[in-house]
Amino acid sequence: MPIIETVDLRKVFRSIKREPGLRGALGALFTREYEEKAAVEGVSFSLEPGEVVGYIGPNGAGKSTTIKMLTGILVPTSGTVRVAGLVPYEQREANAENIGVVFGQRSQLYWDLPLRESFELLRSIYDISRDRYRENLAEFSRLLDLERFMGTPVRQLSLGERMRGDFAAAMLHDPKLVFLDEPTIGLDVIAKESIREFVARVNRERGTTVILTTHDLADVERLCPRIILIDEGKVIYDGALERLREEYGTHRTLVVTLFESYPEFAVDGAVVESREANVVRLRFDRRKLSAETLVRRVLDRYAISDIAIVEPDIESIVRRLYLEGYGGTARVEPP
Amino acid sequence: MRRRFRLEPYVEFAKRAIAREATYRFNVFTGLGSLVVRVYLLRTVWTALYAHNAAPRELPLHAIVTYSTVALLMGLVLDIDQTRALYDRLHDGSIATDFMKPINVPLYFFADGTGEVLFHGALLVPALGFALLLVHVDVPSLGVLAAFAVSFLLGYFVGFFLNFILNCSAFWTLEISAVQMIVTWLTDLLGGQLVPLVFFPAALAGVVYALPFAAMFSTPLLIYVGVIGPERYFDVMASQLAWIVVLGTVSTLLWRAGARRVVVQGG
Repeated sequence: MPIIETVDLRKVFRSIKREPGLRGALGALFTREYEEKAAVEGVSFSLEPGEVVGYIGPNGAGKSTTIKMLTGILVPTSGTVRVAGLVPYEQREANAENIGVVFGQRSQLYWDLPLRESFELLRSIYDISRDRYRENLAEFSRLLDLERFMGTPVRQLSLGERMRGDFAAAMLHDPKLVFLDEPTIGLDVIAKESIREFVARVNRERGTTVILTTHDLADVERLCPRIILIDEGKVIYDGALERLREEYGTHRTLVVTLFESYPEFAVDGAVVESREANVVRLRFDRRKLSAETLVRRVLDRYAISDIAIVEPDIESIVRRLYLEGYGGTARVEPP
Repeated sequence: MRRRFRLEPYVEFAKRAIAREATYRFNVFTGLGSLVVRVYLLRTVWTALYAHNAAPRELPLHAIVTYSTVALLMGLVLDIDQTRALYDRLHDGSIATDFMKPINVPLYFFADGTGEVLFHGALLVPALGFALLLVHVDVPSLGVLAAFAVSFLLGYFVGFFLNFILNCSAFWTLEISAVQMIVTWLTDLLGGQLVPLVFFPAALAGVVYALPFAAMFSTPLLIYVGVIGPERYFDVMASQLAWIVVLGTVSTLLWRAGARRVVVQGG
């Protein structure tokens, strides 16, 4: 049975329409015209227990709105949503016991209290047994290296420390499912890696289902075999990350540094992407042209001092998808 | 499926609120210091005023000094905005994380506020000790003290709901400090904390007694100094209770509309 199932989920926000300027502001006091905007438009997907899924899309695509409907704080305009068998907005409190949340931009720890006290409070909120609490805290404390600042009030923690605290807080009650919303935002490389390691481990050892929303695609590459791409409220791709790479990562880039400056530069079978001083970037389709042939063609006509091939990264693939939309052969259903 | 209600988290919220308040030690000391100064100032003012005017029969000098001192002590509890947390969490958006926890959110704010009030309530003991060094406070009979205690408690709930309503308005405006300031002035002026309402001209007194502010300070205080006798206890407390019902109903409606707004618009 899937742990999350949404069918045709929609959320329409209604806001007061306002003409610009003072006149508009005054006008809005008396006459109210509403304008409607669909933040989520017919999103359907399902997740099996134990999956780690990257839920990604540009700003304003509808990611947070979806997450809010899954956590039960937003009521969908239409469509159905089930999380671990519950309808979140009807059983908010019961649903809350099954889930954990981490927001990179917002802490759920209690600002004035030492970290340890926040954990104690969560123990009583989620009614975690003493033994389980001790075990989990000991483990998280070891994995996330929390011991040093357990007694420090949350407001005095660094961002990295606070995030580690937030992760432990979200997992203390053994949630079946965790929502991670931009969890590595603003962190340095080492902190990012330790967070990713923690997520991977919790998923592996506890079978926790993870939905990860992020703009840092390195998080996705490291953690998520499957991604759901959303844009303008609609799912534009749902499937394996690898498949996306195969279908869209067809273009490689050849970077050539010229020995002298030629007035013109052109090679058959490749497109000049950019040219700065003597450095030319050539884009070519690996299905139509091998790197070897292309290099030979370049060498035939120009004198060069350096050459390199750049493989497409997931970032550029996703950027292309945002711009062009998904035109792939089929929507890949998850295994 | 109905979830079993557990009181434990709310007791914990209250305990943490006490711990939190205790960390602001400087506030505690300045609060007590300013209270002692105000007790002394009011004694001086009333003494001077009474020396040059005919004392009203129902409130001789010792009674007015008692009144002022008890009023200032009550302020330790009643001047607290115990639902401030609601405003704060609305303002920084963390209310969304509250709704993602398996808790009854308004009960959480109530528990937090109760903890805060209990902490400041405990300060009544040292505050009274300091005040007694400066002024003489009349102690009425046990029966009157008991009536005062009940009326004080009722007054506390009137204040609680007034604050809750104010903080709830942050669901819509997000900025409430101006309104809050006005309400504080009104409470100070019309609640009878500073000047007993018996000194108000008859025409104004009618209005003032009918407002909820009087139910916070004036009613328990006038019971304490005996201006309200036992024969009127039932009436005045019934009117306090009526305010609790009215303000409690408004609070509930506002909360529902506000929470719906968070739920519908996403906070």
